Amino acid sequence: MLIDETVRFLSQVPPFQFLEEPLLRELVQSLTMAFHPKGEVILHQDGPVSEHLQIIKKGAVKITLRPEGNGDEVVVDYRERGETFGLVSLMGGQQRTTILAIQDTTCYLLPKERFNELVLSHPAITEYLLQFHLTKYADMTSREIQGKSLFLESSDHLLFTAQVGEICQRFTTVVEADTSIRQTARRMAEERQSAALVVGPNGEPIGILTDSDFRTRVVAEGQPIDGPVSRVMSHPVVSVDEQDPCFEVVLKMLQCDIEHVAVTRGGAIRGVVTNHDFLVLQGRSPLAFSEDIEHQTTLEGLAPVSRKAMSIIGVLLREGARATNIIRIISELNDRVVRKVLELAERELGPPPVPYCWLALGSEGRKEQTFRTDQDNALIYADVFDSQKPRVAEYFRRFAVFMRNGLVQCGFEACPANYMASNPDWCQPLAQWKRYFSTWISEPTPEAVLKSLIFFDFRPLHGDRSLAWGLREHFGRLIPDYPTFLGFLANMLVRNRPPLGFFGGVAVERNGEHKDGLNLKIKAVAPLVDIARLFALEKGIQQVSTVDRLEALRSGTSLISDLVDELEYSFEFVTLLRIHHQYRQAEAGQPIDNFIRYDGLSSLERQSLKNAFRLILKVQDQVMDRYKSFII
Amino acid sequence: MGLMAWGRGKLGGWSPGGDLPVPELRFTVLDTELTGLDARRDDIIAIGALHMQGGRIELGNAFQELVKPTAVLDGRTVVIHGITPSELEARPAIGEVLASFLDYAAGTVLVGHCLALDLAFLNRDAKRSGRAPFRNAAVDTLSLFGWLRRRSVDHPAFALELPAPSLFDLAEAFEIPVEAAHSAIGDAYVTAQLFQRFLPLLQQAGVASLSGLRRVGDPRRQLASLADQEGHTHF
Repeated sequence: MLIDETVRFLSQVPPFQFLEEPLLRELVQSLTMAFHPKGEVILHQDGPVSEHLQIIKKGAVKITLRPEGNGDEVVVDYRERGETFGLVSLMGGQQRTTILAIQDTTCYLLPKERFNELVLSHPAITEYLLQFHLTKYADMTSREIQGKSLFLESSDHLLFTAQVGEICQRFTTVVEADTSIRQTARRMAEERQSAALVVGPNGEPIGILTDSDFRTRVVAEGQPIDGPVSRVMSHPVVSVDEQDPCFEVVLKMLQCDIEHVAVTRGGAIRGVVTNHDFLVLQGRSPLAFSEDIEHQTTLEGLAPVSRKAMSIIGVLLREGARATNIIRIISELNDRVVRKVLELAERELGPPPVPYCWLALGSEGRKEQTFRTDQDNALIYADVFDSQKPRVAEYFRRFAVFMRNGLVQCGFEACPANYMASNPDWCQPLAQWKRYFSTWISEPTPEAVLKSLIFFDFRPLHGDRSLAWGLREHFGRLIPDYPTFLGFLANMLVRNRPPLGFFGGVAVERNGEHKDGLNLKIKAVAPLVDIARLFALEKGIQQVSTVDRLEALRSGTSLISDLVDELEYSFEFVTLLRIHHQYRQAEAGQPIDNFIRYDGLSSLERQSLKNAFRLILKVQDQVMDRYKSFII
Repeated sequence: MGLMAWGRGKLGGWSPGGDLPVPELRFTVLDTELTGLDARRDDIIAIGALHMQGGRIELGNAFQELVKPTAVLDGRTVVIHGITPSELEARPAIGEVLASFLDYAAGTVLVGHCLALDLAFLNRDAKRSGRAPFRNAAVDTLSLFGWLRRRSVDHPAFALELPAPSLFDLAEAFEIPVEAAHSAIGDAYVTAQLFQRFLPLLQQAGVASLSGLRRVGDPRRQLASLADQEGHTHF
């Protein structure tokens, strides 16, 4: 029955719920159960590493981190029933955080050896840990970075160190339970408050009423406004002590899905804190940046804002955002900068003589930018009569040069391969663009295909989008007629074999500047991007982003329809790894590259990187089979 | 019992001068189900036990045996245990079960709630089947509770007014879930969790090793008060 009870519990807890019952039953035999009274420090930062994965049966723990030097302690996470801790120290050989029981806590302890067996032998466990725990791990790593950071400004730290009493609105409308709804609204209006606290006979908060409650509960439901406020208030009201750290309060608000919290001092009302207060405190959300960009009217003003926008990566990493979402947000912010520069160019050079469309190419086109890369762009303008041509071409030439210089000023370096609209080859009327694509598709050579790949991931960023759609339609029609083109893509894809050795080891650079390094972009990111592109073009799919392409392929009859989840996950993982690597380099003031040290990865990271490589190999084998007549 | 096991039993953790700290102690937390409280007439019908290493309860390797009784089962206790005579008929006799239990408990400190009573029956049956009595160190959770309460340890559960609270009173006070009450192994599991909660409180009070545990958790302490309890229904 000990066993049954535990099996029952674990069968509801990820990742153990993915295990079959016989295995679970066997696993439970090796568990022990420990009790940590409230206040016990279970693991000490820099102390002995955990010998177990601890699965919380009851209670909760708080995970904190003390940055190197003399920084303030930072709350990294809370874990409660059904969640685990000790994972990172189990794998990483270092206890980087302090884990404190904040309630009486009972845990099941899974011994290290047993855990390692499970990770290696059981794909479901590995997958779960990768998907969920790596985000937390990633989160923690970036917090660690944050502790030493000069890159992020002090306001970021505030969320973790400031007490809620320091930021709450000191004054708030306070009414008694029998006050009428009308009277409450009047008081709020007079006192310019967005919320009113309803208190009981002893002044204790019993409910809260916000602006939006008036809309949804009073007006929408047709409540008589002379009724008591207690009828429409939210209750019970969540209150926090003024000394609670802001981060814990935000967490509470998220958990309870509320926007207002009462702040008390020794049980007495002190004020109210809203999610708006936290936004103001943090002030560095992607939204704040985008507004900042919008407000600029000169290149001189835009440049510093644009350069600073990179720091948002740290904020996003710390908030545990998915890597594939981070790259989208980065691309979105970059897009805004580019649009702003376009706006400035149009103002500088006068309105364009004919409609044009600005294209983002390559990773920018796919919205997969990590740290600011170089410029990859092109320009299409509407077809014109020969007589107008010199004048129009001259306008766009100057326009494109302005763009290149403006973007350089904003931190986007010029493209060394000159894939930029400022190169006259890539600043052409629609008819010429159609000819380019016709040539690439109907007369492919390995070199030409390689060079043109970047153009197949174009995305209209600004201007007359119909020009871009016209072009896309044009080459979409051509592709089915020229199978050799896809054959070349397939050929190129299968030639970039993952660096997996005979014994499943990963081959790294043997010498040179990046000795022991692994080029993550070429060996892991590019093959996944190439796979998505090949199959998307094969099926005439319009999407450009890798994840969008994969999603579009999911429901179809593509060769890879069944592998979409695995491909998406691998893409997420390698992207995360890459962002982390680059973030660390940026933090350390080093030049940014794509070479990660394989021996610097944790065993779990290595395992998942190998899984990604195996997946790439598997798809390559299928591609080889399908396109065998084209494989050289 | 093999020689090895006997050796461990004799030396296990309680030889003079070998006072080990709690994390290094190995415990056998046990509970017996009886047909009644009269040692002259009644029988052990089940033994349930599990091991703890320091404060950690091991979920695997539990001991769980039903015993074929010598006396006829009385309808009154059947209601409590849910064990019927026919279930016990096919089970091994107490001598055989004791042999394997002695083996299981060898080298460990015995822990139980009102352990004196369990020990009285176990030792009686050991004697009857020609075996040596249990020589293990023994700690009683009810004695521990009484001691902690006298020290007025700061925990709401010690506000319990009952003079000799049952295992289930204590489980409730310490928020320990009770899943299978009155099965020997189920009760042993509850006892183990109770003991687990006492350990940090004892440590705060300076009791952190075997000698301390034996002093404040001596099973004989509770025996006298227990005898006075008319109609005590833990058993």
